[in-house]
Amino acid sequence: MTTNAQVPTKVYFEDVQVGDEIPKLVKSMVTHLQLVRYAGASGDFNPLHTDPKIGEMIGTGGIIAHGMLIMGFVGQMLSDYVGPTALRKFGVRFKGMTHLDDVITCTGTITEKFEVNGEARISGKVQAADQNGDVKVTGTFVAALPRRS
Amino acid sequence: MLSFALDNDIIQARYCFYGTWSCYETFAAILKGSTDMFDTSKIGQSFPPFTIEVERCKIHELALAIGDDNPIYHSREAAQAGGYSDVPLFPTAPTLFTFWGNTKMGRHLIDMGVNVMGALHGEEDYEYLAPIYPGDILTGVLTLVDGKTRKGQTGSMDILTIEVRYTNQHGQHVLNAREVVIIRG
Repeated sequence: MTTNAQVPTKVYFEDVQVGDEIPKLVKSMVTHLQLVRYAGASGDFNPLHTDPKIGEMIGTGGIIAHGMLIMGFVGQMLSDYVGPTALRKFGVRFKGMTHLDDVITCTGTITEKFEVNGEARISGKVQAADQNGDVKVTGTFVAALPRRS
Repeated sequence: MLSFALDNDIIQARYCFYGTWSCYETFAAILKGSTDMFDTSKIGQSFPPFTIEVERCKIHELALAIGDDNPIYHSREAAQAGGYSDVPLFPTAPTLFTFWGNTKMGRHLIDMGVNVMGALHGEEDYEYLAPIYPGDILTGVLTLVDGKTRKGQTGSMDILTIEVRYTNQHGQHVLNAREVVIIRG
């Protein structure tokens, strides 16, 4: 296994404590245009996410957002926090459907500090929830952090 | 085969326009067969490899759609100014490799007339093992690593775990992407 290239990040291993909260990310309201855009970008053209008629037919109450879009929101929070190349693992469980006009807030907490092959790492839990507190995804991540010394 | 009450004509008509589907619905078609129960003998089966080139513009487009305006995802110059050798992989960029790289699986599905609306995405997990940058050519091999049928009050569902193992043009193992898919019977 190769270790990723060390890149500048804002967070140092020494500065992070178990229990620390990751700066939360509040996203703009989910719009139909965003889902169309996400479909085109990601290649997931399932009409469930873009065509209101399909949503009505299958009883999801209109179109629903791609779960991967919501994971992307959480990814953005982690990217802002440690930088993308610091991530070693990132996984989520999809817990609920996101509808148009939902406002998603991503949050996270550091759960562990450890070392693997001399690399300083943190792990944490993350989630995304809507304006009513309904959880859309929960997940975990592992990231490598630089040391101060 | 999967059955899910939908207006078949509309769905079929729409299928014609959607060239790209993810691989998991195809799994449903291949693995379900004619029985109700998931065929556990398929566990461990791998599918033909696919290749995909990592493209700067697709990362830019994905970050744009998600609404991440961090300049490192949008220009090489900004990425280099931020200390990266090129535009870095957005955390969920592996989804691009499946949808844009593994397109043949979707075609099989459409030919089989499978109703993809029965599939739900349960989990998604990435293990980033080495740097991946634009210009890299990745080869993905998809394996069904687990599968089971669960009977519930509203019928049965298959729960499949698939993993794509990616190597780069140097043969280096760079990424694992694991997905749990729930297919309503």
